Amino acid sequence: MSVLTAVVIGVSMGFVFGFALEKSRVFEPGMIVGQMQLRNFIMLKVFLTAVITGLIVIGIMHGFFAVKLVPKPLLYGANVLGGLILGAGITLAGACPGTVAAQIGAGYKDAWVILVGGLLGALTFSYLEPTLKPVLLSGGPGKLTLDKVVDMPFWLLALGFALLLIIVLVLFERRRPWSEDIGENYDGLSRNS
Amino acid sequence: MKFSDKAWSPYLAGVLIGLLQIPAFLLINTALGTSSSYVTVSGTVASFFDPGIAGIDYVAKHLSGAKNWWQVATVAGIALGAFVSSRLSGVRRSGVSPVWGRALGTRSTAVRMILAFVAGFLLLLGARIADGCTSGHGISGMAQLAISSFVTVGAMFAGGMIVALFLRKV
Repeated sequence: MSVLTAVVIGVSMGFVFGFALEKSRVFEPGMIVGQMQLRNFIMLKVFLTAVITGLIVIGIMHGFFAVKLVPKPLLYGANVLGGLILGAGITLAGACPGTVAAQIGAGYKDAWVILVGGLLGALTFSYLEPTLKPVLLSGGPGKLTLDKVVDMPFWLLALGFALLLIIVLVLFERRRPWSEDIGENYDGLSRNS
Repeated sequence: MKFSDKAWSPYLAGVLIGLLQIPAFLLINTALGTSSSYVTVSGTVASFFDPGIAGIDYVAKHLSGAKNWWQVATVAGIALGAFVSSRLSGVRRSGVSPVWGRALGTRSTAVRMILAFVAGFLLLLGARIADGCTSGHGISGMAQLAISSFVTVGAMFAGGMIVALFLRKV
């Protein structure tokens, strides 16, 4: 595939992604900080619904049409350390690497600064990578997936896990309707708190 | 559900995002992700000042090819999609979110901008160490039942919630 074709596909897919992020209001920093303080659950709902949908479509594509999976290798040290730093960044940015772009599109000015910080963070990692590789980024059991661990067909476990998550979300939604978390100004913030 | 609505159900948005795995797997042979695009863009810019950076294998494999620029285009598309959506609904944003005045206890723009820079740096440093972010590990990795992604997402929420304890209640 030519780079130009890939870019056209990317912009189209990103457009849908960004449209969904904006309409769900999950790109709002108030939603992210609220989620991390367990006061707002929009992020968890969007996130888990995307996971559920992914489990179903990937389960079908891999299970019935032999589409190849692309899981990332398991490296406990790097996954835990990187995950902790990433999480700290998410709370302080009020954004993820993808939703920063949605914030820019929606008009938030500090998102540009997050973007620049992010580019420098990625560049710093790039220069450090050869040094980190032997200590943090090698070894481990490889691209391990849960279906291999429990020895079940991928599609069956994926669809089963999707069903479990659907039940969890349905029960949770009954206790905590999403409309309560949107906020009067659609930014996840209640008027006084 | 209209394009001019100010808010859609999080479930509708989640389904739309999850369905994007279909073109990602079938057309690009990969899963949805965003954070490695920061390596592609920063590496490309840096290569003008330091041509030696292309000698780092990790950077070299991010610099060219359809898959890398597909992801950069996806992130650009996110900005475009959010822009159009916010135009259609009339919920345009400016400046910084009022959440920061509450969370930080100050309305100082300078304080927010410094924190935003540090946060962005941590965001991508962490994502690159873990080899993925909320989309690559979170949405895509968990949907592929990858153990690395369950571990990363657990650490990510733990890290985010610990830091959130130090902010004021929003």
